[in-house]
Amino acid sequence: MLSGINMLCFSASYAIALGLEIFGLWNRIQLRRVALLTMASAGVFAHTWYLGVRVAETPDAPLASHRDWYILAAWALAVIYLAAKFYYRKSSMGLFLLPTVLGLIGASRFASTVPLATFQAPRVWGQIHGLFLMLGTVAVLLGFVAGLMYLIQSNRLKRKLGGGDRLRLPSLEWLERANSRSLGAAAFFVAGGFFTGILSLLARTGDQNFVPWTDPVVLALGAMLLWLLVAEGFRLVYPAARRGRKVAYLTVAAFVFMLLALGAVKLEDSLHMAPTDDLSVEAEVAL
Amino acid sequence: MNLRMIGCTHQSTGLDVRQRLAFDGTQTTKALETWQHRFDGAEFVLLSTCNRVELYAASNGHPTSPTSDQLIDELLEFHSISREQVEGQLLTLTDHDVVSHLYRVAASLESMVVGEPQILSQVKQAYQSAQDIGATGPMLHELFQSALHTAKRVSGETQLHKHRVSIPSVAISELASCVFETFDDKHVLVIGAGEMAEETLRYLHDAGTPQIHVVNRSQEHGQQLAEKWDGTYHAWDQLWTQLSLADLAISTTAATEPLVTAADFEARVVPHRHQRPLFVMDLSVPLDFEPSVGEALGVYLYSIDDLDLACQRNRAARAAEFPTAEKIVLQETERFASEQHRRETAPVITSLRAELEKPKAAELKRLFNKLPDLDEQTQQEIERFADRLVNKMLHPPLESLRDASQNGTPYGLLDAVRRLFRIED
Repeated sequence: MLSGINMLCFSASYAIALGLEIFGLWNRIQLRRVALLTMASAGVFAHTWYLGVRVAETPDAPLASHRDWYILAAWALAVIYLAAKFYYRKSSMGLFLLPTVLGLIGASRFASTVPLATFQAPRVWGQIHGLFLMLGTVAVLLGFVAGLMYLIQSNRLKRKLGGGDRLRLPSLEWLERANSRSLGAAAFFVAGGFFTGILSLLARTGDQNFVPWTDPVVLALGAMLLWLLVAEGFRLVYPAARRGRKVAYLTVAAFVFMLLALGAVKLEDSLHMAPTDDLSVEAEVAL
Repeated sequence: MNLRMIGCTHQSTGLDVRQRLAFDGTQTTKALETWQHRFDGAEFVLLSTCNRVELYAASNGHPTSPTSDQLIDELLEFHSISREQVEGQLLTLTDHDVVSHLYRVAASLESMVVGEPQILSQVKQAYQSAQDIGATGPMLHELFQSALHTAKRVSGETQLHKHRVSIPSVAISELASCVFETFDDKHVLVIGAGEMAEETLRYLHDAGTPQIHVVNRSQEHGQQLAEKWDGTYHAWDQLWTQLSLADLAISTTAATEPLVTAADFEARVVPHRHQRPLFVMDLSVPLDFEPSVGEALGVYLYSIDDLDLACQRNRAARAAEFPTAEKIVLQETERFASEQHRRETAPVITSLRAELEKPKAAELKRLFNKLPDLDEQTQQEIERFADRLVNKMLHPPLESLRDASQNGTPYGLLDAVRRLFRIED
């Protein structure tokens, strides 16, 4: 039966969990929480199983293609959501995290399934590059979600609507900390991903002068890295930038840069595409 | 019974009016002395808290007894407020309604945070203040004593007071916790050293181990409070410095003007905070912080009325206990009323008994004179017969009086009895 698990299974589980989170805005019956945890756990289980099968079938999975990459990022966020649900029992974080998870799964449907060239030679640089960028993306998304929650929570408190049973968000202090840490982590991972990408490219081409700085993907990722480094530096040097709303805006802006980078990868990615004759090595990823 | 109450509460009157009608200790004394002098023989108690300003008056129906309108005029005149400014916002109660209302207030059923214990001590304090200057008398004494008794019954016989709740506890647990994850390492500034400040510190102490800093005009009280909660006292001129350092500020002073204006806050605090979040609970009435202070970046300013949503949730959580509490209030109100009516009928009953005792004694005397040979035992038997006869004759009218007293003083019946039996006052 487990061999039949596909993307639809865990997507549906997450979608139902999101529906239950939304239902919680009106009613917080005990059964809802049990159902929510069951659906989220089922989704993570199916998601993990799916990735496990992919690893068993494809040696470079779960980072063998753009699609794999999105699904792995979605899995990381789903695991974080499930853990948060146990730690912050009554929190409404799912209203923000689950759409992000579903968004990544949805984006994966449009992502390329062609094996990435960066995994062909040498394999280790490609793996590290993909992993760093995936973690960087997860950090940016977490920062974005925390930033969004911070702005909403701050706005509610300003309008004297704080507390309450329906929409329960973590404290501003917690969100500010999550924001700052995710910004720092994003800067670290994206920098790592950027430089390992260059190393991977150099190792693959063997040409020391072959760094396509004007390539849209390199430019977009470089801009995102620059923004993250500037934002992190700004945050460290300027005390007010460490405070809630400022750092929330920084992470929201980082999310926009991330979208630009992902858009560039989708539209103009020549760097990660293997040469035509190499494609014969790997079959189209069956999903 | 001639009881009156006029005033305003958080349920019917906004904070803007309440803070204009509020009395501090000095004003209370001055006002009570004025009214006592103006309405000879009347009794007064003034209850002024952050949620209510209520003037209780009792009189014996003397021509100089104040009417509700006169009491309203006096209250407004004291604060130089016109009637138009409070149109439709003042509460006016008489007799039974006054009793029931005070019982509900003392039992904290009328409080923003149902079950909070501060209101009972505030009621006691209000009565004590009136008693100290001789503004009370037997009527209000009995009313307030019975109110305290009712509050104790509600506290003992329901679960309303099971978990200690208060306005500060609701504010901290429901709102401050939306800002801070923990209170352990927070710089907590308490402005003022009153009961509300202490209640706040009590709750914070249970919630964590914050660094407590007390700023108060009176060094003695401020130091006492700081020492009690392992905090540090700072002189009044350190207010701005402490506000710059604070994470959480609770203001509970009795100042009649705002202590922290938006302009001062902007100039003396904002530059030092670097937009660090500051949660301010202004539990004072009148307010200590100008509302526009809350517009500063990172500042979350809550006044007593802003806690309304959180308090409604608290009230809903305790709703199951309300019927029992209401039943107690009803029982005690009826008991108080019966007692009052009984007191009003008691003189007539005593006179009636005395009026019948006189002919009985005269007839017995005449009989014993006519029959001098009666032995002592027979005489006692005859006396007992006469007593029983008088009692049996008195029983129906007394029962009727007692029954009629259940629904109020039976003035018509009392008058009829007086006329029938020629009883003189």
